[in-house]
Amino acid sequence: MSTQTVYRLYWDFEKEERWLNEMAAKGLNLSSFFMGVYRFEQGQPGEWIYRIELLPEMPQLPAGREYRKFMEDTGVQTVAVNGRWVYFRRPAADGPFDLFSDLDSRITHYERVRWLTGSVTLALVPVTVLGAINTVANWPGISATTPLLLVPSAILAGLASLTWRFTQRVRSLKAQRQLFE
Amino acid sequence: MAPEAQGPLTETVFYVLLALHRPLHGYGVMQYVNDITGGRTSIGPGTLYGALTTLAEKGWITPVEGAAGDRKKEYVITAAGRNALEIELGRLEELLRNGNRIARKGQQ
Repeated sequence: MSTQTVYRLYWDFEKEERWLNEMAAKGLNLSSFFMGVYRFEQGQPGEWIYRIELLPEMPQLPAGREYRKFMEDTGVQTVAVNGRWVYFRRPAADGPFDLFSDLDSRITHYERVRWLTGSVTLALVPVTVLGAINTVANWPGISATTPLLLVPSAILAGLASLTWRFTQRVRSLKAQRQLFE
Repeated sequence: MAPEAQGPLTETVFYVLLALHRPLHGYGVMQYVNDITGGRTSIGPGTLYGALTTLAEKGWITPVEGAAGDRKKEYVITAAGRNALEIELGRLEELLRNGNRIARKGQQ
């Protein structure tokens, strides 16, 4: 079976999921993933539907294993596990595949993702502040460490906007929940 | 049993309780609900897992001791679950009665 390796970094799991499904539509089926390294196996176009979920705990722990076993029993395969993220897939022949079918569980999942991106954003605040102080202190010169400190600042900005995006999602789903379930 | 105050059940909970009038595992519940709603409602596996866990904790459903070889967990409705469903059916009847009486007044 021919395989293909792609190196990519995604901030947004929904964009990542969309990309994986675009690949699957072309017959490139994700077979493993670890830290930005995606491996695809050549198969039939449109054979699989992929979904990504952030579990409340590590997928290797008993609760996570039980959940993945439940998924397996409903015909859902675990393709890869990365931190608390799990990459699932189900044959497209089994019909449309969504992990969540009501507003409450979708809200819970978005809130979990937002909590993760939000905590990492906050954790990067001190080092970003140090970076800013360092830059100002050396102004107009540039210290050797300045470029290094720009990296966490950029990550912080990215994660902050992502957190904001998920906050908006949660807000709009909650507004919908005023009328529907 | 006298009906007691209870909030409306979600559609997921309602149909899971209906499905579990006979012992079923997760996949069986998903198929059953899909069938009896004519494909209108599909319960996602993530949503179903949460509902089964919550219902079992509440004592409205209970795991069934399956055959030793069967590794899939099956659940069945309990008396408390039937009671909750009965209360909900009473509420739904009221909704339908009032809905018909007011919104469809001229059509009958």
